Amino acid sequence: MAPSPKILMGEKKSDSGDLLRDTLDLLILKTLSRGAMHGYGIAEYIHDISDDVLRVEEGALYPALHRLELRGWLAAEWGVSENNRRAKFYRLTVAGRRQLADETAHWARMSAAIARILEPA
Amino acid sequence: MSRESLTKFWLRIKALVVRRRLDRDLEEELQFHLVMRAEKNGSEGSGPEEARAAARRRFGNVALLKEICRELWTFAPLETFWQDVRYTIRMLLKNPGFTTVAILTLALGISVNTTIFSVVNTMLLRKPPVQDPDRLMMVSTIDPTLNFNADQSGVSAPDYLDWRAQSGSFAGMAAANFDTVTVSGDVNPEQLPAARIAPDYFAVAGVAPALGRPFLPGEDQAGRDHVVILSDAIWHSRFGSDRGVLGRTLKVNGAEYSIVGVMPASFHLANFPSKLWVPLVFTRDNLSDAGRADRWLNVFARLKPGVDMPRARSEMQSIAGRLAANHPATNKDRGASVKTLQQYCIEDNGANSALAFLMAAVAFVLLIACANLANLLLARNNARRREFSIRSVIGAGRFRLARQLLTESVFLSLLGGGLGIGLGYAFLRLILSRFNWNADTVAMAQEITMDTHVLAFTVALSIFAAILFGIAPALQISRGNSASDLKEGGRGSTAGRAHHRLQRILVVGQLALSLFLLVGASIFVESFIEEIHAKEGMNSRNLLTATIPLRGLEYLKPDRQREFAASMLQHTANLPGVESAAISTDLPFNFPGSTHFIVEGHDVASVEDAPHCGYFAVSQNYFSTTQIPLLQGREFTSADSADAPPVMIVNEAFARKYFPGASPLGQHIRFGPDPTQTKNWSEIVGVVGNVSEFLGQVQPSPELFVPLAANPTPLLRVIARTQTAPLTLADSLRGAVWTVDSGQAVTEVRTMQRVVTDSGGGDDLMAELMGSFAGIALVLGAIGIYGLLSYLVGQRTHELGIRMALGANPGEVLRLVIRNGMSLVVTGVAIGFLASLALPKLVTAGFQDMRFHGGWVLALTPPIVLLVGLVACYVPARRAMRVDPMVALRYE
Repeated sequence: MAPSPKILMGEKKSDSGDLLRDTLDLLILKTLSRGAMHGYGIAEYIHDISDDVLRVEEGALYPALHRLELRGWLAAEWGVSENNRRAKFYRLTVAGRRQLADETAHWARMSAAIARILEPA
Repeated sequence: MSRESLTKFWLRIKALVVRRRLDRDLEEELQFHLVMRAEKNGSEGSGPEEARAAARRRFGNVALLKEICRELWTFAPLETFWQDVRYTIRMLLKNPGFTTVAILTLALGISVNTTIFSVVNTMLLRKPPVQDPDRLMMVSTIDPTLNFNADQSGVSAPDYLDWRAQSGSFAGMAAANFDTVTVSGDVNPEQLPAARIAPDYFAVAGVAPALGRPFLPGEDQAGRDHVVILSDAIWHSRFGSDRGVLGRTLKVNGAEYSIVGVMPASFHLANFPSKLWVPLVFTRDNLSDAGRADRWLNVFARLKPGVDMPRARSEMQSIAGRLAANHPATNKDRGASVKTLQQYCIEDNGANSALAFLMAAVAFVLLIACANLANLLLARNNARRREFSIRSVIGAGRFRLARQLLTESVFLSLLGGGLGIGLGYAFLRLILSRFNWNADTVAMAQEITMDTHVLAFTVALSIFAAILFGIAPALQISRGNSASDLKEGGRGSTAGRAHHRLQRILVVGQLALSLFLLVGASIFVESFIEEIHAKEGMNSRNLLTATIPLRGLEYLKPDRQREFAASMLQHTANLPGVESAAISTDLPFNFPGSTHFIVEGHDVASVEDAPHCGYFAVSQNYFSTTQIPLLQGREFTSADSADAPPVMIVNEAFARKYFPGASPLGQHIRFGPDPTQTKNWSEIVGVVGNVSEFLGQVQPSPELFVPLAANPTPLLRVIARTQTAPLTLADSLRGAVWTVDSGQAVTEVRTMQRVVTDSGGGDDLMAELMGSFAGIALVLGAIGIYGLLSYLVGQRTHELGIRMALGANPGEVLRLVIRNGMSLVVTGVAIGFLASLALPKLVTAGFQDMRFHGGWVLALTPPIVLLVGLVACYVPARRAMRVDPMVALRYE
């Protein structure tokens, strides 16, 4: 099992919400694998596709986006949105794609393990 | 570093640079999201205002969000550090009084350290400016008969040649003889320090000429040896840095020498100043068996690669042992010592004790200054309690607060250090101008500069001082008791007896150190005053002296020497403004030469058993000019010439020692380097009073005087009693000498009083320095107690107001405050006094020839400190007295 990237970076961690943060990263990366998007678009997409179950708070979204950009998994560019407004678009980099594959596999392993535990004995 | 962290690092650097754009982008990004959210809300049915408000609410704390994002992009520690610095600057500017006092105090304390360190750096730490300085050695003779520096005795020519031939540890060995020469020619003749060197001297030293070439192997033979290499200083001063100087000639000791090279400006050996170099030529006498006893050379050697010092040392010892066995007459018990050049020079200095004392003194001054600063900060902390409590309550960690205060301390300290460097430079120039009691110290003074080492030392010292005085206040404030401090009117006054304990301890410590320093300084000062006021035995006022070293082949003849002396004497005596003049081989208070002698009836077998004493060859009116009293018999007259029967005058010490209880008149003495070989007996015709040979001499030395006419010499000292200030006649004196021979140098033109002071070997400078440092320490200490007391009085205004309202009269208040202050002063003085009892022993251990008399030194200094302390207490006490009870009671 590959160590969490956060351990590599030695970033300041909050005690709770690590799992949530990792998951958010995964969602963002997957969303952007479909093409470049701005922050609002990412939030709306996740909200829509998850049938209103998952709602990403702005307070969590933007720190996550910037963090991912700092790590080189996303690249950012200013462009024009669908309604002619200036917006910052994020897209996946090559390293980001690799990271997405890693995290997806990790997530699959985790959920399979949890499912096994939750199975009626 | 992993690729990810590299990327991250790089992006952060970029963010640092384009800071403002980052902020704008962030703002715009979040704004876009907000607008889109508001639009969506609007399209779902809310009105525009409501839509925006709802969007805003969902967003939460925008400011915090921006902060979080921004923080991701920046170097957190750098940001907070920069914040601290900006805050510090604001705080310091807001309190100009405090800041000024702090910086000045620090500057004073640091500057004296910088000054003394500059001297120590040059004399003890600096490496010689040659290639691989740690492999350049001095090989010297160990002479067990010497009292001082027995292992740094000179080397004779035959020994040097044998050492060179027989040793295998050195890549090269080169001898040098350091002497003075007279340089003349186109301009006025000048006496300069110079060196006669073996041809490979520069190669051994590891330095090459900047212009021209070093000496060639054959140039140490007579006939080919009239070549000279100049120092950069002489090339500049006498030849105007002319690059065409090679091939031109210079007159050295009257003979023409051809210039073949110029050394670079960086080459100067502090202990061996040389302004020019000529080849070392050995005469037949030098190389003879007798010449083996003449130890006049310094031998430089460079270790072979792969050879270390212990091996070289043991090899040289065995070579010396062999020579001792083969030449017992000259080399018995003589060993060989190998040291690095730097080590040799350090031990040669003789100033190491003085430097140690000076360094200790300035360290104490800095400690006292730091104590003042700590107290200043502690006092200010009290005023800032609320500010720090608020910060702590908001969320600043203890470490953060402490770091803030330490940043302030370091800032103050670096500013103080900067000013200190400037002050230190000024002090250094002042000291160096007094560093001139002989030619060696003058040369050394030119070497002493403030280089990068000194600057680095100052910066390091500033930071160290900052930590020293800043740590206690920083810890104290960060430990603050938030609740009570936040309350309005939180004073912490009388309840704070314990609070102020640290400050009291610091003041007591300051005063103790001040007293300690003062006692130390007094020892030096008292010793010097005693030296100066000791009976001189002559009248040193209005006496002008000069030294004329006769150079040139013609002056090797005694007749020419005699003629010159007589002629010069006549010209000098005839100068307007001169009452009388005389010539001597040596001056009083000038460490005279000596000679062996034999008293008739007390024959000895060999010269080693013959006693020796001070030797002076003087002209007729020597004693009348110097006003040395004639106790018995007569002075020399013109009848005592070379043809007349030899006569002699002795001083009282001589008479007392060798003719106790009887008159020496009529007795006969033989004298000379080997008196057993001297044929003629001299008759003693007079006895004169004692005169010291150096400042601070306790026991007068026996001396004998012979007529100059019968014993001419090329090294002459002229003494002239003047009617007005002696130095006004200096030029006339030079003129008189040059009338007789324009090619001779006139050097060391000084008044006799200057000669006396100079022979103290810097005692006067040492006394002044120690006294100044003690004075500074005392002033700082006084400021310390004044500051603390003022502060305490300020704290207690409320309490004092109550006392006075209850009936205490102002006089009682005054006494109360003074009593509080003086209790600190007395404690400090007591501690300091006890500590300083060890000082006299310490000082005499470091300076053997210093006598410490009497307790008046120890007795006088405590009262001085008590008095200063009293005055410092009085001012705040008076202020306390004037407290208006009504105002005080209202004071919050």
